[in-house]
Amino acid sequence: MDKHISSQFDAELAHVSSRVLELGGLVESQIRHAVYSLSQFSTEVANQVIASETNVNAMEIEIDRELSSIIARRQPTARDLRLLIAISKITANLERAGDESEKIARMVNSIINSGNSRALPSSELRIASDLASGLLRKALDAFARLDVTEAVSILKEDDLIDAEFDGFVRKLVTYMMEDPRTISASLDLLFIAKAIERIGDHAKNIAEFIIYVVKGADVRHIALADVESAVQ
Amino acid sequence: MPNTNNTNLKNAIEIRNLNFYYGTFKGLSDVNLNIAENKVTAFIGPSGCGKSTLLRTLNRMYSLYPGQRAEGEIKLYGEDILSKSQDLNLLRAQVGMVFQKPTPFPMSIYDNIAFGVRLYENLSRSDMDDRVEWALTKAAIFNEVKDKLGQSGLSLSGGQQQRLCIARSVAVKPKVILLDEPTSALDPISTAKVEELVSELKADYTVAIVTHNMQQAARVSDFTAYMYLGELIEFGETDQIFMKPTRQETEDYITGRFG
Amino acid sequence: MTMIQKMSDTALYRSRQRANLIGLTLSMFAMFLGLAALLWILFVLFSNGFAALDITLFTNDTPAPGSEGGGIRNAIVGSLMIVGLSVLISTPLGVLAGIYLSEYGDTSKTAEFTRNVTDIMLSAPSIVLGLFVYAIAVAPVGHFSGYAGSLALSLIAIPVVMRTTENMLRLVPGSLREAAFALGAPRWKVSLMVTLRAAKSGVITGVLLAVARISGETAPLLFTALNNQFFSTNMEAPMANLPVVIFQFAMSPYQNWIQLAWGAALLITLTVLLLNILARVFFREKVKS
Repeated sequence: MDKHISSQFDAELAHVSSRVLELGGLVESQIRHAVYSLSQFSTEVANQVIASETNVNAMEIEIDRELSSIIARRQPTARDLRLLIAISKITANLERAGDESEKIARMVNSIINSGNSRALPSSELRIASDLASGLLRKALDAFARLDVTEAVSILKEDDLIDAEFDGFVRKLVTYMMEDPRTISASLDLLFIAKAIERIGDHAKNIAEFIIYVVKGADVRHIALADVESAVQ
Repeated sequence: MPNTNNTNLKNAIEIRNLNFYYGTFKGLSDVNLNIAENKVTAFIGPSGCGKSTLLRTLNRMYSLYPGQRAEGEIKLYGEDILSKSQDLNLLRAQVGMVFQKPTPFPMSIYDNIAFGVRLYENLSRSDMDDRVEWALTKAAIFNEVKDKLGQSGLSLSGGQQQRLCIARSVAVKPKVILLDEPTSALDPISTAKVEELVSELKADYTVAIVTHNMQQAARVSDFTAYMYLGELIEFGETDQIFMKPTRQETEDYITGRFG
Repeated sequence: MTMIQKMSDTALYRSRQRANLIGLTLSMFAMFLGLAALLWILFVLFSNGFAALDITLFTNDTPAPGSEGGGIRNAIVGSLMIVGLSVLISTPLGVLAGIYLSEYGDTSKTAEFTRNVTDIMLSAPSIVLGLFVYAIAVAPVGHFSGYAGSLALSLIAIPVVMRTTENMLRLVPGSLREAAFALGAPRWKVSLMVTLRAAKSGVITGVLLAVARISGETAPLLFTALNNQFFSTNMEAPMANLPVVIFQFAMSPYQNWIQLAWGAALLITLTVLLLNILARVFFREKVKS
């Protein structure tokens, strides 16, 4: 992107963008740790995830404050304005993805404390969660480069996560039907799966805002086929 | 080719293939543009882009100076004002102009307003009083001057003088009001008052405003035209120009990447 | 503080101070010279003319050669009438011509030619103008007249009024004219009702200065109005006037004549001084508002 006449403005935009990417990295590691705590059944790792939530919240507040300051002082227009609006939304999405990870960690603790989960299909959860955190990584990369093509492919990939989620639900239902004693643990796993699915959704939202910044088209709530034509 | 505004609005002025020359220097190149009735159209662009030149063709102000000429077509409600048979004084009574520097006449406030009215209308004393009051009210300055209508127009502050000039233009009931950087010489509060005025004026008049302050164009106008080096680069609704301009040059200018 | 002190210690600074002092001294000296000359003139005028300043100066007419006393009533009235008529002729002509030069002609060939002619007339010796009017208005009718005197003075005043009017009008900013045109006003209305009004004080100042100038002109009147020993308000005949009275009386052998001449000179000087001060005060007031 071309430089502004005001290099101070450029510096401010660069700074707030890099803070967003930092937040993204933090949330991403939160997700990985949360799923690791599930696969290893480690309360220690789970508690780490819960503790890091305060950091995420603090960063969200700081980024929003910086955004308000830039908007008040610079009266941004066109692409600059869209970028700042997108950053605000992306930050919110990242913060909620962090919330989901925290939920996963709490669920893990509850499963471990109830003591009866080793027999359940948590490995499939691992696959889904890798997909989700990978998708978030891709979204953050695409944002750093403002890559529209990558953003569109992210929109497509989220569909895969949704499909995985549906499959996992079906599997859990069969387990619950076979052995009613596993219902409470299964429900815990279901909540975890739901959280993972939502993380994928947040990655998708981030991709939608990348398209908004670059193309000026608001592609939220549109079918995928229409998105591709809007992007041309 | 820059787009003109949508067709369900009536056009007060239609500019076609306008070229303008200062002697041999080409000030405007092939400008095509519609100015919608009862809307505010803003012209923005860096210094020397031709926005003031364009504004001054709309009331043939350039005809005062030999060596300046315009070619093409400018239709005011269907009539081509560039034709040789156009009566310039009558045109200027229909297309008023307010300048960057406030220029009150060296007369009383009352006479300042009455001057323009007396040119073409024969009003009785009480009718003229009404007209003066009406014009000063329209310019949001009546309450400040109603007790000193006999005082010289030069005794007012800068912001008040400019509003007096606006009242003067409004008093003759033109169809179009042209504003050439009307707030450049004013302090922020006077500027805000004049901008508020512009929003109110468009209910009764068509307004065209030239400004080098982009944010002002964004605040007051319905349509914005971006010009550069005598050419019309982009024209459209203000929301669209400032949110999602179609030309890279426009975006570079309004985001401050220009230069 | 120390940096400033250091700068003021340098040799460069001191040499600048020296140059400043020299320049100041020289210009003050020159001013005093000029002032001294002016004050000397006024002093001589006052001391010689003051004795003549009594009521008889204004009530009696010029005395016959050899007779006692007398005043300069006829000359005062004559000057007023001749200068008055001249102002009546030259002001409208000069102002309108100035308007033409500034508002209409501008850079056209006619305007340029007019300006050149005006400049020539401004610097033409007044005696030449007097002779010219003699040839066209005195010789053909066979006698001197107050009318001829006014004509001659007008020929001096018109170029002055014309040039100052044009200059004052040119000082009016173009934006004011444009504002009037923008309302649909025709050019003549813009010129008269807006531009001229804006330049009003400057134009009036120009007229006042022209009057001050012609009040003291002697040479043209010698050939046109000449003089009249008696009181007369007949402009068709020779008329008494202050400058010619001074001319005749100052070098005469009669004591009362000489005194009357000084009195007349003092009167003219005071009038011209008053007019200049008036013009200055008037102009400054208008400029301030």
